[in-house]
Amino acid sequence: MIIAIVLFSLTELIGRFHPVLVHLPIGMLVLAAIFQLILLKQKTASLGPAIHITLLGGMLSAIFSATSGFLLSTTDNYDASLISSHQWFGIAVAVISIGAFILNKQQNKYTKWVILLLTILVIITGHLGGSITHGSDYLTKVFSSSEVVSNNTLRKPIANVQEAVAYTEVIQPILNSKCYSCHGVNKQKAKLRLDLPDFIMKGGKDGAIITAGKADESELIKRILLGKDNKDHMPPIEKPQLSKSEIDLLHWWISTGADFTQKVKALPQSEKIKPVLLALQSAEKNEEIKLSDIPDQAIEKADDKVIQKLKARGIAVSTVSQNSNYLSINFIAVDAISEKDLDLLEPLRKQIIWLKLGNTKLSDQQIDMISSLSALTRLSLERTSITDKGILALQKLTSLQYINLVGTKVTAKGLAQLKALNKLEKIFLYQTSITGTDWNELKKTFPKAMIDSGGYTMPLLEGDTSEVKPPPTIKK
Amino acid sequence: MKNDTHNKRLLREANHAILQQYTRRHFLKDGAMGFGALALGSLLNSCGFNSSNNSNNLFDAANPLAPKPPMFPGKAKSVIYLHMAGAPSQLELFSFKPELAKLDGQDCPPSLLAGKKFAFIQGVPKMLGPQANFRQHGKSGLWLSDNLPHLSTVIDDIAILNAVTTDQFNHAPAQLLMHTGTPRLGRPSLGSWVTYGMGSENKNLPGFVVLTSGGNDPDAGKSVWGSGFLPSVYQGVQCRSVGDPVLFIKDPKGMSRDLRKASIDAINKVNQEQYEEYNDPEILSRIAQYEMAYKMQISVPEVMNINDEPQYIHEMYGTKPGEACFANNVLLARKLVEKGVRFVQLFDWGWDAHGDSAGNAVDIGLVNKCRKVDKPITALLLDLKQRGLLDETLVIWGSEFGRTPMMENREGKVMPFKGRDHHGAAFSMWMAGGGIKGGTSYGESDEIGYNIVSGKTEAFDIQATILNQLGFDHEKFTFESQGRPFRLTDLAGKVITDIIS
Repeated sequence: MIIAIVLFSLTELIGRFHPVLVHLPIGMLVLAAIFQLILLKQKTASLGPAIHITLLGGMLSAIFSATSGFLLSTTDNYDASLISSHQWFGIAVAVISIGAFILNKQQNKYTKWVILLLTILVIITGHLGGSITHGSDYLTKVFSSSEVVSNNTLRKPIANVQEAVAYTEVIQPILNSKCYSCHGVNKQKAKLRLDLPDFIMKGGKDGAIITAGKADESELIKRILLGKDNKDHMPPIEKPQLSKSEIDLLHWWISTGADFTQKVKALPQSEKIKPVLLALQSAEKNEEIKLSDIPDQAIEKADDKVIQKLKARGIAVSTVSQNSNYLSINFIAVDAISEKDLDLLEPLRKQIIWLKLGNTKLSDQQIDMISSLSALTRLSLERTSITDKGILALQKLTSLQYINLVGTKVTAKGLAQLKALNKLEKIFLYQTSITGTDWNELKKTFPKAMIDSGGYTMPLLEGDTSEVKPPPTIKK
Repeated sequence: MKNDTHNKRLLREANHAILQQYTRRHFLKDGAMGFGALALGSLLNSCGFNSSNNSNNLFDAANPLAPKPPMFPGKAKSVIYLHMAGAPSQLELFSFKPELAKLDGQDCPPSLLAGKKFAFIQGVPKMLGPQANFRQHGKSGLWLSDNLPHLSTVIDDIAILNAVTTDQFNHAPAQLLMHTGTPRLGRPSLGSWVTYGMGSENKNLPGFVVLTSGGNDPDAGKSVWGSGFLPSVYQGVQCRSVGDPVLFIKDPKGMSRDLRKASIDAINKVNQEQYEEYNDPEILSRIAQYEMAYKMQISVPEVMNINDEPQYIHEMYGTKPGEACFANNVLLARKLVEKGVRFVQLFDWGWDAHGDSAGNAVDIGLVNKCRKVDKPITALLLDLKQRGLLDETLVIWGSEFGRTPMMENREGKVMPFKGRDHHGAAFSMWMAGGGIKGGTSYGESDEIGYNIVSGKTEAFDIQATILNQLGFDHEKFTFESQGRPFRLTDLAGKVITDIIS
């Protein structure tokens, strides 16, 4: 068993050398061709032995490359249609390089033509190989950047969705933006095209992808719903993914029979799909570009020494997730906060996005020290000694989305100093010095934010203090 | 000086004890086996076969509860799980079944009984209509019974699961399934998995606290918050709401705080020397535990004391300081989460409703139970909200199963009160906060609440959803034990995306 596994791993290992090995025959065979060219121009040049050696090297490395390439194709999962031509051209290069070597040794007069043929084959094979790794549009992409942009433009709202033709106006735009780039006119990965009804119903090399009326049994839906770590998941994980409502629409369309001509109103609509369809009438909602409290751009790793120092002070520090360098910091277990602690935050200003300083004795003077943490999206300052004066320092925190000021002496006037922070989504102000009419003012100051005033009360109900007794007639 | 000689004596004793356990037979056996194992080990190691070393074990023995990042950024940072042990009736709380009312008092049709096993029902039972009035509430218009008048005011903050199902019909195995992913003993509980994966924010408090009320612990006993094969530091710490929160937390008479500190330092020093000799990470774990126990002596009584809470909070929750009751535990749960505790597990016992006594009747005992929990639970949601904590605290309410639409007829007899038997095929739970979409319901049962129709939700799905909200992929979050990786959700589970905002 172990031997079998070792053997398998070994073939895979050799296979993985293919992308490195291929550069050797390309270099050597082309060099041989250049030498041959020079030899043709200047008969006197003594390049004969050099051609012999470069051809020998080119031949051997071509054979190794072809072998490793074959092993790679058996172990990894590549698009078979793309591979087959690269594979045959590669084998041809290996075979013809043997021929060229022998002819050259025999001083055959056709050698130069064989070398020319070999050079052309090397170029074609190399290009095909490059297409497998970088994608076949890798070279042309430079010229067609406008096309890529057009795919990402926002969908136009449909005037009356019920009157729209389900396929052309609802389904096709989804397929266009998320599927055509690999399954369209230019490219047909897995021999699948999704740009015309006939092709859609025909399916790909593994058969039909749509079972009309049975969305859950349709390969198309199955692939979309597969876990993102599954290699069969569609669209490929590095490509733009379908949104929840797009999946719902595809699912609905297939389960209602995958019809290409009917209007939306002619198709049955469940309670669940109605709001999704209705949403198509308004301009595309930015549900996918909804503000996240984690910045999109990656950031370098924070200085571990500083983190260790913070941890030694009992401050909870961790990244927001295993593959992110952004930091979440919580002072919950620190009673007396010191300037020293806050000083440690400064070097981490690019990484800290969530900061909890609640229930510490943080003062207005100390808060200045966190005003440089401009990446902050969430800040908790509940029950600290911060007042309106301290709020002023927070003006610089332009990324702030959540702020908790519960139990502080902050007033409405003080809070208005943060008016310019247009990303603020949630403001918690329970037990602050904000009173009466201030609340309405604040709602005007922060029209987009959810402002929580707290102070919820619950009515005292009769049942809260009494019990239901068994009726006396029933005897136990 | 005195301390030093004392330490030396302790170490000598420890070494002596070890030597006594180590006999010549052990030496020969270890020697023979050891060499073979060593050779094989290095052989396999060099081939990259040692998977246990590079598996993603998150256990850091020296600092087992330090906060750790989840797999992906999660919405929820902490969890409060409210488990009503005994199984409240979904038909009197969340599952509105007007059709069942029409069948009240009729014989149960044989089609519902064929091939079914019940805990107590025998022969042909009578159908029992809903024993509560239902109304639609909030903007969402979700149905809720009059047994939960306070909760109805916050209905737009909760997501109701109305098609939860389990294959267990006895309390203990059903509770184990809900919390550990298997009806059998021995697997880690949800809270253990979470504290193992994320640690806890407050180094002075345990990461996983368990509070029980209702007069009894749940039927499944302490294993329902056990750590299974995870390091034992991740098991739930049960605290009492009356008396000392943790037994023996006070220093004994005659022992001062300084003396306690000195003795813990001495023990840790001996342990440290042991560690340097054997390099067993469990010894570091032990040292960390001693230190935490010392810190907990101060921090736990402080956080577990609800007397300092203002009067309006007591009124809101309906707490009764000094009494062991669910309301007190709910307030404690809020305090603990506020203090950075990762997972708070509440069990309230006494929700069984077989109809064998007034306290076990769906129209009497159940109503009184509801009155004891409705106000504190609603207060919890409101209080978390006004403190800005609801969006990062996941609250789960549920039980191990639900109850039959038939009236129980234990031993074929008519029961003195209206009761329902255990029923796992369809029941209700709810979740709120922590990135859950409020005002939604997911899943439906049939017209009489007997079987589910759509949105089947198993314990695994709920566990997967909880882990997802915290930032864990339940399929990748594993721990290697006995030679294979284990998951909380075993081989099942699907995140309920419909209730996630």
